[in-house]
Amino acid sequence: MSARRGDGRLYLGFALLLLLHFYLRPRVFSGRAAPDFLFLALVLVAIRARPGVAAVAGFAVGLVSDVLTPASFGAAALAHTVVAYAAAWGRAVFFPDNALVVAGLFAGGVWLRNAIMLLASGTPSGQLSNALLVWSPLQAVSTAVAGMVILLFLRDWFAIRIET
Amino acid sequence: MIRARGRATSRSDSLPFLICLLLSAGAIAMPSAWSLKLAAGLRDTILLPVLWVQERAEEGRTSRARFQAVQAERDSAALAAQSLAALTAENTRLRGILELRARTTTSSVPAEVLHQSGPTEGRTLLLGVGAGSGIKPGDPVVSPEGLVGVLLSAGDRSSVAMTWSHPDFRVSAVTTDGSVLGIVAPSANTDASEAFLEFRGVAYRDTVATGTLVMTSGLGGIYPKGVPIGRVAGIRREELGWERVYRLAPMANPGHVAHLLVLRAPAAPKSVP
Repeated sequence: MSARRGDGRLYLGFALLLLLHFYLRPRVFSGRAAPDFLFLALVLVAIRARPGVAAVAGFAVGLVSDVLTPASFGAAALAHTVVAYAAAWGRAVFFPDNALVVAGLFAGGVWLRNAIMLLASGTPSGQLSNALLVWSPLQAVSTAVAGMVILLFLRDWFAIRIET
Repeated sequence: MIRARGRATSRSDSLPFLICLLLSAGAIAMPSAWSLKLAAGLRDTILLPVLWVQERAEEGRTSRARFQAVQAERDSAALAAQSLAALTAENTRLRGILELRARTTTSSVPAEVLHQSGPTEGRTLLLGVGAGSGIKPGDPVVSPEGLVGVLLSAGDRSSVAMTWSHPDFRVSAVTTDGSVLGIVAPSANTDASEAFLEFRGVAYRDTVATGTLVMTSGLGGIYPKGVPIGRVAGIRREELGWERVYRLAPMANPGHVAHLLVLRAPAAPKSVP
């Protein structure tokens, strides 16, 4: 496969994730446990990029999230920056070629992102525990499942080798 | 193959990370008026195609799933409207006898809710209508069930509503019989998984029965009188023997609403001849 064709497939894959996030998710899923396809795209960028680039991508994705839910402007940018940077460094540590490790990266990333966002936005303690112990784990699982399904079918597009 | 990161690589990676962290901290510290304006500007320019796609998705979902419900609601409304003309005439006549001014009327703009996936979703809602429809910040936002919140900012094509679950939300409220006044605010500390409201500032001598409907009082000039907020679900706490705080089960759930009405500022009152 040529490099240009590979890049084209990669960009197509990210465009597909954007479409899934802004078209499929509102049509099919409702509620706070809906999978976050935008976050999946960010993690897939982060694990193939340098940490600095991943941080900038995280900041951009977070800013989009802040603009669309401006309950606490800047909290999402902060959370996505930290998680993307950590995911890029984590690639060297965890070597995410294993399906369970990748799923764990998706799930853990969503939970950590939500935790930072909730703390940075000054969520009251009662709502915080509810969000961290109920809704965030549910969203983490749904995002991880969605991510694994996508990688199962499109792993060539994202140039990711998964060992089960 | 993963390449080992040297000191130079590490520094070149840390710098963008620190800059992004500083920018994020700056965004958090930014005054809300600026951040709302910045967010509205970005929504009306760069993110316009994204919102257009999401609006089409919401339309597709709600038109399919809510058609039967809307049809049933329309039939009920048509039935109720049959007696409306007689009631209006009677009301006008009685107001004339009592020399009362005519009721202030509010017009409304329907809005589609564009739900997001973030954990703070629900405190604010992104709506698919903007200032072009005649709405402006401070306009109340209601659903068929009751009060949802107030408009926080309005861009050209989209707007943001602050819901009752936002920590800054407050509304002057009264019980249905008009005997007890208070302030409704979101509970700062919820024990259960369900968020609820608090009916604060009720004098210790006043007792509100469980199940009593609490609605907007109309005081303050933001919310019109008579919009349902919630039902009393028990006493939350008592403050040093001078105030009771009641737990209020909200009528409208911001997490589940698909369509809302933005109430525009009331028309100028007309004098009764």
